[in-house]
Amino acid sequence: MTSDSPTDFFTRFGASLLVWLKSWRAVSRFTAVAIVEALSPSTYNSATRSVVLKQIYFTAWQILPRFTLFSALLSYVLIQIVVDTARNFGLADYALEGVIRLLVLEVLPLMTALFVALRSGAATGTEVVLMNIHNEIRAMEESGIDPLRFELIPRVIGGVISVLALTAVTSALALLFAYFVVYGLQYWNLPDFARVMAHIFDLPALAILWAKVLAFGLAVTVIPITEALAAPQKLFFAPIAVLRGMVRLFFVLMLIEVLSLALKYI
Amino acid sequence: MPDDAGRIALLEEHASAALISDSLPLRANLSVLENVAIVLQYRQNLHYDRAADLAWTLLGRFDQTGCAFKRDPDLDSNERFIARLARALILPQPIILIERPGLLLPDCHYPSFLEATLAAVEDLYEQCWIVDYPWNEPLYAPR
Repeated sequence: MTSDSPTDFFTRFGASLLVWLKSWRAVSRFTAVAIVEALSPSTYNSATRSVVLKQIYFTAWQILPRFTLFSALLSYVLIQIVVDTARNFGLADYALEGVIRLLVLEVLPLMTALFVALRSGAATGTEVVLMNIHNEIRAMEESGIDPLRFELIPRVIGGVISVLALTAVTSALALLFAYFVVYGLQYWNLPDFARVMAHIFDLPALAILWAKVLAFGLAVTVIPITEALAAPQKLFFAPIAVLRGMVRLFFVLMLIEVLSLALKYI
Repeated sequence: MPDDAGRIALLEEHASAALISDSLPLRANLSVLENVAIVLQYRQNLHYDRAADLAWTLLGRFDQTGCAFKRDPDLDSNERFIARLARALILPQPIILIERPGLLLPDCHYPSFLEATLAAVEDLYEQCWIVDYPWNEPLYAPR
């Protein structure tokens, strides 16, 4: 039995570090291209618009009733727990602020991103890796269709819009529940509620929330697609590419969440 | 064409020609009609309804509208070939290259099938080249 020399160890470490850095460079490059293309009017034609609409339909519209129901239930349970606990500790005045900060700023955007990642990120990654393996990407190029503009960028745009829309819907529901749990079924506490809202959603908090949700939306599509495109054109690499994409996506989502927390509270 | 390297060199030399090849499949999650219409949607920004009408008309010229709403895995080899040809010819082409027809049409007498199919759309291209191995040369009549 032979043991690796330090040179071998560092060679292997350096090689894997290079692979890791290259894959991050690919993610960064694709993200930059996606942002530029999404903001460019020439990207949008009849074909790309149809892919964007399909992506929004499958990512957001199709799951809207069930996801809304689930998030409403979760929001209601969490609001009850936080409000009851705050009351027990004599902190009822802070219950509303606490629960909205917890749900709208942190839990619901992250939960939405994770849900979209599991449902659509994995599907998008699988589809793109199979397209790549079966040479469909080259076939599109041969037909004069830019696969980046037709297949990939519209998915990113659709994914971002879906995450934004689902987060908005679930957050609005959570605000509604928070009001009714804290104040009951009446409307004369609306000015108090508005004051708390204004206190929570100041400009920096809104900017961080928007940036975070946009970053979540980009991550759930860009990372699976980049991993799928990087996979060799062999069928047995398909599950590996999807797995790598999903694992990287999970860490990126967590990293975005931690960064947003650090920006707000540290 | 002496060998496979010759075939590959010829394809590379005519990279701008519309290629119908086993290595260029249809988009698997789109129907035949969508695969053809998408070329017009993307390149000419036509609305889907108009692009689909034109694609339908073209498939009609091949007498293959029956496969319009099928996806790639549900097609037989003849339908798949027609779909690929329609995708290539939905915009008129100066040159079309059909690479190894025997690979694309394994279950039919493809020389006569090719002859009839190409005759149906001969106004949509100027030249059609069939790229095949030299030992298959006797199968094709001079065009």
